[in-house]
Amino acid sequence: MSDTHAPAHRPQDLDDAIAGGVGESPLRPDGTLKVRGDFAYSSDLWAENMLWGATLRSPHPSARIRSVDIGPALRSPGVHAVLTAEDVPGRNLYGLKDIDQPVLAEDVVRYRGEAVALVAADHPETARRALDLIEVDYEVLEPVVDAELAAHDDSLPKVHPGGNTVRYQPIVKGDPEVTADVVVSGTYTVGMQDQAFLGPESGLAIPAEDGGVDLYLATQDLHTDRKQTAAALDLDPELVRMTMSGVGGAFGGREDLSMQVHVCMLALRTGRPVKIVYDREESFFGHVHRHPAKMYYEHGATRDGDLVFVRAQLYFDGGAYASKTPVVVGNGTTLGVGPYDVANVSIQGWGMYTNNPPCGAMRGLGAVQPAFAYESQMDRLAEALDMDPVELRIRNAISRGDTTPTGQVLDYPAPVAELLRRVRELPLPEAPAAGAEPDIRDLPGGASNTTHGEGVVRGVGYGVCIKNICYAEGADDFSTARVRLQNVAGEPLAMVHTAAAEVGQGLVTVQQQIARSELEVERVNIHPNDTSVGPAGSSSASRQTYVTGGAVQAACRAVRERLLAITAERFGEPAAELSLSGGKIVSRESGVLADIAEVLGSEAIEETREYHHRETFPLDERGRSERAQVQHAFSAHRAVVDVDTELGLIKVVQLDCSQDVGKAVNPESVVGQIQGGSAQGLGLAVMEEIQVGEGKIRNPSFTDYLIPTILDMPPMNVDVIERGDPNAPYGVRGVGEPPTISSTPAIVAAIRAATGRDLTHVPVGPEHIIG
Amino acid sequence: MRLNLTVNGRAMTADDVWEGESLLYVLRERLGLPGSKNACEQGECGSCTVYLDRVPVCACLVAAGQAQDREVGTVEGLADGEELSTVQRAFIDEGAVQCGFCTPGLLVAADDLIERVPEPSDAEIREALAGNLCRCTGYEKIMAAVRTAAERSGGTSGSGSSAGGDRT
Amino acid sequence: MKPFDYQRATDADSAISLVSGDPEARYIGGGTNLVDHMKLGIAEPGKLVDITRLPYDSVESLPDGRVRIGATVRNSDLAAEPVIRQRYPVLAQALLSGASGQLRNLATTGGNLLQRTRCSYFQDVTTPCNKREPGSGCSALEGWNRHHAVLGASERCVATHPSDMAVALAALDADVLVEGPDGQRTVPVTELHRLPGDEPERDTVLRHGELVTAVELPSLPFASRSRYRKVRDRASFAFALVSVAAAVELVEGTITDVRIALGGLAHKPWRATEAERVLRGAPATEETFRAAADAELAAARTLRDNEFKVPMTRNTLASVLRELTRQEGS
Repeated sequence: MSDTHAPAHRPQDLDDAIAGGVGESPLRPDGTLKVRGDFAYSSDLWAENMLWGATLRSPHPSARIRSVDIGPALRSPGVHAVLTAEDVPGRNLYGLKDIDQPVLAEDVVRYRGEAVALVAADHPETARRALDLIEVDYEVLEPVVDAELAAHDDSLPKVHPGGNTVRYQPIVKGDPEVTADVVVSGTYTVGMQDQAFLGPESGLAIPAEDGGVDLYLATQDLHTDRKQTAAALDLDPELVRMTMSGVGGAFGGREDLSMQVHVCMLALRTGRPVKIVYDREESFFGHVHRHPAKMYYEHGATRDGDLVFVRAQLYFDGGAYASKTPVVVGNGTTLGVGPYDVANVSIQGWGMYTNNPPCGAMRGLGAVQPAFAYESQMDRLAEALDMDPVELRIRNAISRGDTTPTGQVLDYPAPVAELLRRVRELPLPEAPAAGAEPDIRDLPGGASNTTHGEGVVRGVGYGVCIKNICYAEGADDFSTARVRLQNVAGEPLAMVHTAAAEVGQGLVTVQQQIARSELEVERVNIHPNDTSVGPAGSSSASRQTYVTGGAVQAACRAVRERLLAITAERFGEPAAELSLSGGKIVSRESGVLADIAEVLGSEAIEETREYHHRETFPLDERGRSERAQVQHAFSAHRAVVDVDTELGLIKVVQLDCSQDVGKAVNPESVVGQIQGGSAQGLGLAVMEEIQVGEGKIRNPSFTDYLIPTILDMPPMNVDVIERGDPNAPYGVRGVGEPPTISSTPAIVAAIRAATGRDLTHVPVGPEHIIG
Repeated sequence: MRLNLTVNGRAMTADDVWEGESLLYVLRERLGLPGSKNACEQGECGSCTVYLDRVPVCACLVAAGQAQDREVGTVEGLADGEELSTVQRAFIDEGAVQCGFCTPGLLVAADDLIERVPEPSDAEIREALAGNLCRCTGYEKIMAAVRTAAERSGGTSGSGSSAGGDRT
Repeated sequence: MKPFDYQRATDADSAISLVSGDPEARYIGGGTNLVDHMKLGIAEPGKLVDITRLPYDSVESLPDGRVRIGATVRNSDLAAEPVIRQRYPVLAQALLSGASGQLRNLATTGGNLLQRTRCSYFQDVTTPCNKREPGSGCSALEGWNRHHAVLGASERCVATHPSDMAVALAALDADVLVEGPDGQRTVPVTELHRLPGDEPERDTVLRHGELVTAVELPSLPFASRSRYRKVRDRASFAFALVSVAAAVELVEGTITDVRIALGGLAHKPWRATEAERVLRGAPATEETFRAAADAELAAARTLRDNEFKVPMTRNTLASVLRELTRQEGS
């Protein structure tokens, strides 16, 4: 902490500055519980007299329900309730953007896996067996399975009465018809990716005497869950109390409701606590996935390598319900040219309803798909121009003061060129010594003894990306923090209370750090997240350190102001001359006045504050907006891969990243986010795809849907820079999403460099290399 | 059926166990030990890794009856009272824990590795932990944690844990 | 999961009578396949007879040079057995390339041999599958069939056998010792598993109640120079797209004897007899390797998504042969 107004005489008894503040890397407060196995995840909860819930799901992607017979299931011993759509007390619809998804299907089912009926029983197995006894008579219908066709073929069945388009958005900038010296075009596809969080969807609902319900659950957003759940239960939201339990990862997959309404319905009906825990297969059916996309791109440039235009058509398959499809279209189109300054842009984006599994939020929402396409195009363009691909990117990189395709001027640092230069300078792995026998465990295929180095080619590739932080297009996704400062056994203790979901990212640590820095106290406790404090919004869009960090900062500053005012009165010093340091109140004139605890005495100071990010505005019909998005974040990756060209196997040897985080509130956690995000991007690049055939998921397990193991993830050089955003608390810039976005195109570029293959689909499999 | 087994060195009994329950279910729902996690329940992720007669297995694929009279060690048995084991300490210190759902299984697998191979190479660490999926960390800090744990154990007595019983 | 009765067998005779007398009874070993299938509703036994405490948990070197592996020897123990590592490296390598450490610590020799296909339609009880439900149809024929068979499949079933260990055993000409209500018999591993034909529901030639008690490896001195290679979608913990188990005897640049089996390609571990025929007595050259692979793959019939398996197999086989013969010659 720098202080240009040093006190006239430094107090002799001032403690060292409080450790573990902003900019340091204190350890997680929940670490000990987690390594002991004592951290209570939502699936670990237990209540006296508890029943188990289970969900009957549609086996068909599109069907009419003629009838449902619950009689035999209800008569089954140990079964306490069987519920269908008729039993939904309130509005049998929910949704994050469009309210279009039934809690339980009524007359139609629109995807394979849609919830149709619920059971509560005294043992999970009894509940599952009762599901088999529910007779549903379906009239099977032809499913809509192709998003691009759905956008243009009016003869297809309508998945929803309003038609099959969830959102269409064009973006036009400059002259969309302009021509250029060199033009490259390509068609790119991205497979359906799964969040694959490890903690299954789960919750424990306990009916309350006031007619309400207490739900302990894992989610990304308590208040949005509560709003939707209360409407479905026809209860005052105050009667639906939600408390966060341990969350086993989220990555977007816990934004939509899963078991929330279901488990509450069962608890309210039976009058007993009910727990629902999905197994892995059900989890694949029970949450949304990343939108698969098909993207047509055309890039034009001058012979010198200046981008002249980008034209693109993007098709996102939203599946059966809208979920976050409108946002995916918004992000995909507005960010569709990438972090480049382009004068002429024409992008059209469609988000479509189909009878495929619903798609929604996943880390890098809507920005992952076009990044694979535009970065592939940049490599293609570099080749056509005979230019170095990094130089081409640097030449066209967007920077502070430039205007995005929507007309927004970047009024904060945008160090894209710097990131590219830096990532290029990171150390490369040593090439294996000529003639030396390589360790086969380091080669593609690893210990399965697949190759001994023959046919193995190395390639290097780059990728860079742009992602908007916080919600956009007019959303006011504010956060709330309540901070209470009190004297506990002679020590000042700050309690921070928010509804912001700790999903593993380390938000609890960040909140402690902010409170320590703002209040100069050592001990900061984090109150369990619940709905007894105002909304925090979702732990998504890389936004929590920004908005909840901002709210905690504001609440702490309000507490500090009151504390200083009390001190000023008591000691007769002007409040403006007072500050906090090392647990004490310090006057510029007279040095240490008192311990914070002493001034507090038996009084607690509590303040609640909201933090609203600056206003954004919707896009008009040409995709223009003065400010569509709050902030943008950038990262650049370099991938080094070895490819066994005989067998088509890929080994990512090294994956390096440079990222601007504005301000690293917790530098070690930032690195952890970059490593974890990069691993998910690696997964999309070379292995992860939900296989959907005729509307059905074919690989709903961790044996068939592969995510990277510790053998697949290479070492990383991570280079973090801090070019603060003057608009954001502490200058922070969202961290979590960018590394998931730029890693994928970098890896594919490296595979292309090694093999000379085109590679227009991710994930890349052996068949794309030897086929 | 009645199930008798030793868990973390203590004799335990579970009554009215249904034959189709897994060892994981018995531990979590009947014996009050939810530390072993239920991420896939199909032997695909390693988050339920426990010691069974001193070798790490996926508890989700062990039918309850098969655990009769056997010795089980779980994450809850790794620490010596308040004292965390070396592997547990290293996971915290190196930031290897994010959401933490994979952590219990990884700790048992890492504890077993260091017990067998006191000074594991990176390649050995990767092989040994290949059956444990983690979705948050990208594994880099997990690698660092296992290296640190091995180092701190001085390549002598594993992690000093007792979860595996009196292994020699 | 359907309710069932669980019993722990104390000796083979009682185990066999418990199972053979009850058409709904099944043996359970490590459980890594069966417990999963019971959870998914693929297997619904009325009775499980636990055989893991039967005295079949040792590996013995027999006086005539053969090696007998008890049926309940765990995969990880077998892979670590010095006699296996030295005399049959192909088997140790195959075992270590399967599943994960945690599963290898549970899985038994007998159970691994009898594990069932990982066909995604077989796994999904809501879809037609002739193997799971005879006569219901094969969804994979026209469906997602990237992992499916290119050799020996039928119109009824295109599933592949998932085991790595069994591929090595097929290459080694191992025998399976079986005890049943009518006494003992010996079945070569190459004849244990069936091609699907008209009865894809039958994976093996075993009759109900028959219990695998051991596997015997022939002496086969040249197997000390053998290899297992597995090609898969990630570096570990994934089923084989293609695998090759091979042992070669080389005398002055000529292949005098050879054993090859292929995994991931057929309803059973595929003994590559055509390739062996081409190789036996031929010079160890790239040309011979390619000719051998082509001979074996001449009968390949690919599906929509698995065409890549043919060149992948050809390259893997050639690569393994190259390595084995180069090593032998140097």
